[in-house]
Amino acid sequence: MTAVPHSPPAAIQLRGVGKRFTGSDGEAVGVAPTDLDVAAGEIHGIIGFSGAGKSTLLRLVNLLERPDSGEVIVHGENLTRMSPPQLRAARQRIGMIFQHFNLLHNRTVADNVAFPLRIAGASPERIRERVQACLSFVGLSDKAEAWPSQLSGGQKQRVAIARALAPEPHLLLADEPTSALDPRTTLSLLEVLDDVNRRLGVTILLVSHEMAVIRRLCHRVSVMEAGEVIERVELANGQVPPDSRLAQWLTEFGGASPTPAQAAGALEKESASV
Amino acid sequence: MFDLSIFDGVIELLPEIGKATGETLLMMAICLTAAVLIGGSLGIAVFLTSRGQALARYRRFNLLANAVINVVRSFPFIILLVAVSPFSRHIVGTSIGPLAASVPLSLAAIFYFARLIEQTLRDVPRGVIEAAEAMGASPLQIVFHVLLVEARSGLILAFTVLTVSFLSYSAVAGVVGGGGIGDLAIRYGYYRFETDIMVATIVLLVVMVQSIQFLGQWLARRLDKR
Ligand SMILES: Nc1ncnc2c1ncn2[C@@H]1O[C@H](COP(=O)(O)OP(=O)(O)O)[C@@H](O)[C@H]1O
Ligand SMILES: [Mg+2]
Repeated sequence: MTAVPHSPPAAIQLRGVGKRFTGSDGEAVGVAPTDLDVAAGEIHGIIGFSGAGKSTLLRLVNLLERPDSGEVIVHGENLTRMSPPQLRAARQRIGMIFQHFNLLHNRTVADNVAFPLRIAGASPERIRERVQACLSFVGLSDKAEAWPSQLSGGQKQRVAIARALAPEPHLLLADEPTSALDPRTTLSLLEVLDDVNRRLGVTILLVSHEMAVIRRLCHRVSVMEAGEVIERVELANGQVPPDSRLAQWLTEFGGASPTPAQAAGALEKESASV
Repeated sequence: MFDLSIFDGVIELLPEIGKATGETLLMMAICLTAAVLIGGSLGIAVFLTSRGQALARYRRFNLLANAVINVVRSFPFIILLVAVSPFSRHIVGTSIGPLAASVPLSLAAIFYFARLIEQTLRDVPRGVIEAAEAMGASPLQIVFHVLLVEARSGLILAFTVLTVSFLSYSAVAGVVGGGGIGDLAIRYGYYRFETDIMVATIVLLVVMVQSIQFLGQWLARRLDKR
């Protein structure tokens, strides 16, 4: 037998995954059948204009959106072939955060973080231990008994990250996680997400329309337009390859600061939006 | 001196007022329980099967349940009262008295509360429900861990509205021999012109409504952490 070189399974493999909605004018919108491979440990960005299909593509990964066609494979498991209980179990291993945080308002911060563990039937000891660990990871140990309405936007998103991390997911889906936040808060949240990736080894699929966010975090980026991924770009140290469509967009729509330091600086001023 | 003799009639009738209050409470207990258990479940089911929600694929159920709720709710209560009278006799063995009146009261309360609940649950942001789905929550877990918790203030207020409405509906039930405080007011106050009895029963009803409303609003405010 020949030894097959063993590489860790890809975190995400989309195979011909598409989703069509019929728009109000009868035009088909959504996401055209797409392939996507995200390696374990990668931070992969999805960028594009509003309505390009970024959120839909992201939501196809945990099947919040049921694809019309294709297969969704996450860490070797084919989600599209699962029964509803199997899918729910698989979703417990995939974290998700949102632009508007989506915290439970009538539960304390600690209970929000405990929520995914409770529905998974974790023991009280494990819940206590994970809530503590995750709140300390995002720097909010002192807010455990606060209500979400008492927190700032940045703190709410930290709680949402702690909640997503509680069941120790291997993958985090993030839909415009900083788009409701000011530039300074955005920057500190990007630090947290970077930590999630580096220290915990969590793969991240990140949707954003802000180039500075993508540059600061992502190893690779899928560029979307009108429901199609038109380009995949490697971002070595936040550098956008000059011959790419993305580079062209940047010169067209501004914010073409090439180094990560400058990209972070751009966040502080006006974040570059495509 | 203050002349208390005008209340002699009331004092004389105290046992009767007590009995009527008991009958009213019995009717309320039955119809509110039915409304919360059956109407509440129906309201939740209609919400979950509405567009964009977790069980939206059961569209037929949603359409049917909506139609039934609308039909029952469009009956004037007094007509419902008479219309289900044979049915009441079938269930409780008699068509008069508080037990018999509880049948049409429950019927009306169930569908009224179902609609109230369905509308109250719409206040829970779709994103919050979706976040729970993304975490792997089952539809039942979404109901008990998300919807009922996030909408709890609204649900308390809905129950308050239900209670107040059906306190006055139960008075109407008195007309067809349902008994209760409303029946007393009609028999003594209206037919016999015993104004003091009428005033006493109305005062009693006003106090009950005020207390229910106060309690409901206080509880709803306390539970709201949004
Ligand atoms: N549930 C839906 N029903 C109908 N159309 C939808 C639905 N979700 C998204 N769309 C449409 O699909 C397109 C892509 O949406 P979306 O993925 O949210 O874009 P983005 O996140 O890039 O702004 C848009 O035209 C949007 O209106
Ligand atoms: Mg979007």
